[in-house]
Amino acid sequence: MLRTAFRSVVATLLAAVPALGQTGTISGRVVTADGGLPIVSAQVRVVGTGAGAITHADGRYSIVVQPGRYTVRALRIGFGADSVRDVVVTAGAVTTVDFQLKASAIALSGVVVVGYGTQEARNLTGSIRTVTDSTFNTGRIVSPQQLIEGKVPGVQVVESNEPGGSVSIRIRGGTSVTSSNEPLYVVDNVPLPTGDNGLQKTGGVSGGRDPLNFLNPEDIASVTVLKDAAATAIYGSRGANGVIVITTKSGAGTSGVTATTSISSSHVAGGPNLLGPADYAAAVAKYAPANVGKLGTAATNWRDLVQRSGFGQDHALAFSGNRQDMNYRLSLGYLDQQGVVDGTDVKRLTSSLAYSDHLLNNRLSLQANVKGARTQDAFTPSGVIGDATAFAPTLPVMAPGGGFYQYPDPLGPNNPLGELALIQDEATTYRGIGNLQGKYSLPFLEGLSVTTDAGFDVANANHTTFSPSTDQGQLENGLGGTFNRSTSTQTNGLFDVYGNYLRGLGWMASSLDLTAGYSYEAQHGDYPTLFAQGLSSDLLGVNGVPTATTERTTVFVDDSKLISFFGRANYSIRDRYLATLSVRRDGSSKFGPEHQWGIFPAAAFAWRISEEPFMKGFSRLSELKLRASWGVNGNQAFPNYRAFSDYVIGGPQAQVQLGNTFITTIRPSAADPGIRWERTASTNVGLDYGFFANRVNGTVDVYSKKTTDLIFTVPVAAGTNLSNYLTTNIGSMQNKGVELGLNVAVLESHDHGLAWDASFNAATNTNKLLQINAVGTGGEQILTGGIAGGVGSNIEVLQPGYAVNSFLVYQQKRDASGKPLYADVNNDGTINEQDLYVDQNGDGIINQSDRRVFHDPAPKWILSHTSLITYGNADFSTTLRAYLGNYVYNNVASNFGHYSALTGSSPTNLDASVLSTGFVNPQYFSDVYVESASFLRMDNLTAGYTLHSLRGVRQARIFGTIQNVFTSTHYSGVDPTAGINGIDNNIYPRSRTFVMGANLVF
Amino acid sequence: MPLRPSTRMIVAGFALLAVIPACTDVTTEPQSTVTSANIFNEATSYKAYLAKLYGGLAVSGQSGPAGNADIQGIDEGFSQYLRLYWQMEELPTDEAVIAWNDAGVQELNTQIWGSSNQFLGAMYSRIFFQVSLANEFLRQTTDDKLAARGVTGQLLADVHQYRAEARFLRAYSYWHGIDLFGDIPLVKETDALTSTPPQQSTRAQVYAFIESELNAIKGDLPPAGKAEYGRVDQGAVNMLLATLYLNAATYTGTAHNAEALAAAQAVIASGAYTLDPNYHHLFLADNNTSPEIIWAIGQDGKRTQSYGGTSFLIHASIGGSMDAKSEGMDGGWWGLRARQELVSLFPSPTASPDKRALFYTQGQTTSVTDLLDFGKGLPSTKWQNVKSDGTPGSDPGFADTDFPVFRLAEAYLIYAEATVRGGGGSRAQAVSYINALRQRAYGDASGNISDSQLDLPFILAERSRELYWEAKRRTDLIRFNTFSVNGVWQWKGNILGGRPTTAIHDLFPLPATELVANPNLKQNAGY
Repeated sequence: MLRTAFRSVVATLLAAVPALGQTGTISGRVVTADGGLPIVSAQVRVVGTGAGAITHADGRYSIVVQPGRYTVRALRIGFGADSVRDVVVTAGAVTTVDFQLKASAIALSGVVVVGYGTQEARNLTGSIRTVTDSTFNTGRIVSPQQLIEGKVPGVQVVESNEPGGSVSIRIRGGTSVTSSNEPLYVVDNVPLPTGDNGLQKTGGVSGGRDPLNFLNPEDIASVTVLKDAAATAIYGSRGANGVIVITTKSGAGTSGVTATTSISSSHVAGGPNLLGPADYAAAVAKYAPANVGKLGTAATNWRDLVQRSGFGQDHALAFSGNRQDMNYRLSLGYLDQQGVVDGTDVKRLTSSLAYSDHLLNNRLSLQANVKGARTQDAFTPSGVIGDATAFAPTLPVMAPGGGFYQYPDPLGPNNPLGELALIQDEATTYRGIGNLQGKYSLPFLEGLSVTTDAGFDVANANHTTFSPSTDQGQLENGLGGTFNRSTSTQTNGLFDVYGNYLRGLGWMASSLDLTAGYSYEAQHGDYPTLFAQGLSSDLLGVNGVPTATTERTTVFVDDSKLISFFGRANYSIRDRYLATLSVRRDGSSKFGPEHQWGIFPAAAFAWRISEEPFMKGFSRLSELKLRASWGVNGNQAFPNYRAFSDYVIGGPQAQVQLGNTFITTIRPSAADPGIRWERTASTNVGLDYGFFANRVNGTVDVYSKKTTDLIFTVPVAAGTNLSNYLTTNIGSMQNKGVELGLNVAVLESHDHGLAWDASFNAATNTNKLLQINAVGTGGEQILTGGIAGGVGSNIEVLQPGYAVNSFLVYQQKRDASGKPLYADVNNDGTINEQDLYVDQNGDGIINQSDRRVFHDPAPKWILSHTSLITYGNADFSTTLRAYLGNYVYNNVASNFGHYSALTGSSPTNLDASVLSTGFVNPQYFSDVYVESASFLRMDNLTAGYTLHSLRGVRQARIFGTIQNVFTSTHYSGVDPTAGINGIDNNIYPRSRTFVMGANLVF
Repeated sequence: MPLRPSTRMIVAGFALLAVIPACTDVTTEPQSTVTSANIFNEATSYKAYLAKLYGGLAVSGQSGPAGNADIQGIDEGFSQYLRLYWQMEELPTDEAVIAWNDAGVQELNTQIWGSSNQFLGAMYSRIFFQVSLANEFLRQTTDDKLAARGVTGQLLADVHQYRAEARFLRAYSYWHGIDLFGDIPLVKETDALTSTPPQQSTRAQVYAFIESELNAIKGDLPPAGKAEYGRVDQGAVNMLLATLYLNAATYTGTAHNAEALAAAQAVIASGAYTLDPNYHHLFLADNNTSPEIIWAIGQDGKRTQSYGGTSFLIHASIGGSMDAKSEGMDGGWWGLRARQELVSLFPSPTASPDKRALFYTQGQTTSVTDLLDFGKGLPSTKWQNVKSDGTPGSDPGFADTDFPVFRLAEAYLIYAEATVRGGGGSRAQAVSYINALRQRAYGDASGNISDSQLDLPFILAERSRELYWEAKRRTDLIRFNTFSVNGVWQWKGNILGGRPTTAIHDLFPLPATELVANPNLKQNAGY
């Protein structure tokens, strides 16, 4: 039966080949310009027709076409495209066309991945930018997002400073408030989970750090950022925050073994300005003489004691090979990176396999990618950094009678060294992700192909914390030791099928590229937790629970589905006038029953002006393309089941005594059965330009995004639902911006001379919240941005007319020199708000209504520069990055910058700002603490030297990198990039890292 | 013979079409959570829900002490009902101040609040959280629904009583609503859950609703003293009615002193309660054994935990040189002190001769010269987490001490006040009730009063001596018209010596967030 079927397929294949007498053949070879190695899997296309082929392992291809005169192009990811014009094909003859492709230095490779397919860069109509491995950031990179930091205009990458810690990305500003603002990640055709809901983060489940850490940056070939709606609408309800498509390396074009190894050392760069022992003792003597006796005479630098030099090592080994139409790449990686605070460590073991083959006379191409990783995270116990900031510098580490010194009052900070010594906090994450793609070019209709993707993504993350009974926090609360473990397992399945039809039309030399398909994604999560307290023994640590007085287990199961139909049409006329229309219809289980399906359309047009005959005279202008797009995207990154009113079962400490029984309660939750996706409509106008054969090239983009049906957790009219806040579709916001990119080959190498490639990016974005309630009466405020200091204090606000998370503070009165005023201005015998702040509403009293909106954390401009210099065998590169107009609330200064911190039962250290402000009582809501945090930073500086043709080694490169070379800023706190929300509260300190390593190709 | 390729494609295409309906169903339903569809399949759910209606007053969320908060927009510890209500009833008055600098809390000390104050907003939300939950309970337990679920027999009778209790708790919160905020929406179980904002009702309309509800449910509740501990009976209903009537002039412009007197008398006459011989026992960890308490909000150090309630009261009134352990706690929060005006109502601050003067003096000044300095003003040791035998409560972090909402002493005081206000009753009886309290306080008759001393100023002062720090004071001062335009105490009006404020302060403003969410509402005058 199978044999019969195979025979019929072969028969069909043969039948489909047109009679030879009426056609001609183009054939040839595609090789690398540098070294002449064959390039496998390159696309060769006959422009203006649907005809094309993919090169074999030896780089050869063959295409049958009607006789005529053609332009033939060869493309491959990671290489600059090449085309040969005026190829004459005659009936019955073979015309040879060979190509030599250059590895592309700056992100202008010939083919870029777009959703469900690839497209030639020059035919793009949307705003898409690809960064390939040759231009990635270098140094100690744990999370793949860091590879493109500063490389793409309009993309803000915010790290948490902790190695492997969560990385946030904002593409053209955030579009949401309550839902996630993180982009959709697609790794080798598998979309990763979106949304942060306590069970998972964007990217999937993890043991605590960034979920994308399962990807070894060494395995990544390119990162493509889809920015405008024309590019992202094919991802429908998940595209509103942009899409980042990560493509891993394949074995194509390479053969042999590559080994990369490096070691690194990281050092703390910057910290809070705390008082030293002498200044502190003086302050205590002056402001809290009663406490002098309590505070000892030691000289302890608590921050230094919990910080260290972090050692790191990273090794990767990759084997790749080609045989006939098959190629493969197998890689193994190991990373071990310590943080600069004791206790922080990440160890990662990765493996990946990429396999590609072409069968059935090249009609069926198969591609498989399978990756597996184990990440072991160790965390600094959560209180350590804060406690090392707070602990008084005159207190000793060890108590005179033995053991760690502790404040006598249980509410005071705990000894951070005690916490480091006793508390264990660690996680292990396993992740496997894979995809098998089959693309079959149908024999009976040339240009028609069907592609199926079957993907999986399985993750298991185990996070365990253990505090022994001897830990101070346990002693103070009589807890007797606590063990906590959460085990999250997520299994996601993906099935896509789509057809592609590529056809040249005779009319106006136009061509049509149609894609239509169906996608099914199902996600299943299983989240058990285990809690034990009052342990009978501390001996087992994180590895076991002996008997315990309190044991609690929970199990939570969660399912979601996303089903989609999508289509896209690209139409081009004379290779000059380009149009793209796309639509996606998404059904998601997260939406309420009345709104399960949504439609997300987009349209884009481009005009390659430089191809017009009237432009022939402008020979210096090599590329000029005008693009315009409009589209609608959604955001569904919110938790499941929001449409259902569930009953929350109470815990054992929230029981109610009725009679002699303590009863476990139940509580219905507020729910909106009509909840649906957020809708972001965006328009983009862009210009791609190139001069001097693209030696100078770049882009200019202007965009506007408006998000409506914004999902907000907003106050609802009292009595209308089951709580005072409801998560519902309300409100709108807007982002507008301009992005500029410029790449210049300043010096081109001749014969291994000096070459210098420079790129410059600049982007500005303005965010404005337009509406946050149904009525839109104006003046409404939702407080957000929790700070340390007081209880439940919020420093930021959501208010229409202003940027999201703008600071809401009192305006501090200042003296002539600008120094904050701290005096009894109104002579009422006390210094309080009434003396210090400006009465904004003029009602004669200062209360919460006098706080005003004052700046916001988002940078107004992000500038970056990359230089790549080669001279002979030496290479140098650097990346510089600057933010302008971002503000940070210095929470360490506000929380510790007042003398009353000395008078309580547990006097803490003080922030040095108190020496200039003189604040006795805390002024958490003063605008003094909202500081300009514009900065210029050299993110990395790399030097390398390459040796060729050593014995047994084809190529060897040794390199050294410094990361965070310098930061220039007026900001006085720990780090001007203090998290995405601009609140600098005991954040992980930034480090400067020195890396040395070698890369060997055998 | 094999099928032609195109036929194969067609067959495959049809096969695909057949599969598509199965591949387009995106519904997934909650699996690890319970919903309104299945919760009442379990008979215990009715009592569990009822317990939440009581728990809404006692804890702040479903995890305890914090986590899974009932209301949002404020720190969960701050959001606890009793803590909010206590702060609003005490901090603006001559009884208490708080030292902290949390956003908005000093505005309560000094009567300079505005509609953005987070505590006012949270109090309003708490009131309507209780109302909404009670409404939902009543909707879920209609006769039709109970019959459909096959509820019969004892369970049916129990659920009928639960419904009466739900209506009591709703009335109790509505009373707080009109007392604090004036004109508020009146949402009942007959109003379906909807996103349409309700209309504003007048204070008098809500008053009338509370009154009719309390009268309607009396018959469904056990007689005074017969409910199990922590649940309400007719004693609690009569106390709430007495309180409502006593303040009727404030709420409606018309006094109902006779009705207040009758309700208080019903409580006293029930004979279910007696004065606790030991005044301090009423505020200690084992006060659940006190014979005087009519209804209390239950607290438990291990099983009913929150950062509000009596855990807040006791923690916050410990600081300075006080020994937290001797009050059964693990530390002090350095917050609450009495104002000097409260202390001066007593002959001395040190429980002699009046044992109700429970203040800590060592290292403290009586005058509150600095609101933010715990050392200024005398903390009260009235609320403690030790039992009457001196042993500590079950947990040093959270108090066992229940919060008596109504106790017999207040019924005596209401009787006396209603009598003096012309509500009928006997002056001699009133004097004897007052003297019963004073005799307990002094230990003998040395503090007793005569008929000539029984006047309204005396009653106001005596209420403070007896009921201070029990969340009654603001309502009392407003009833006596000495809260805003009359009456001066330290820091009132935001100056050390104190000064009168305007009458607008007799009501709190409707929260700014609420005005945005419900455009039907009109802000209280002056805000």
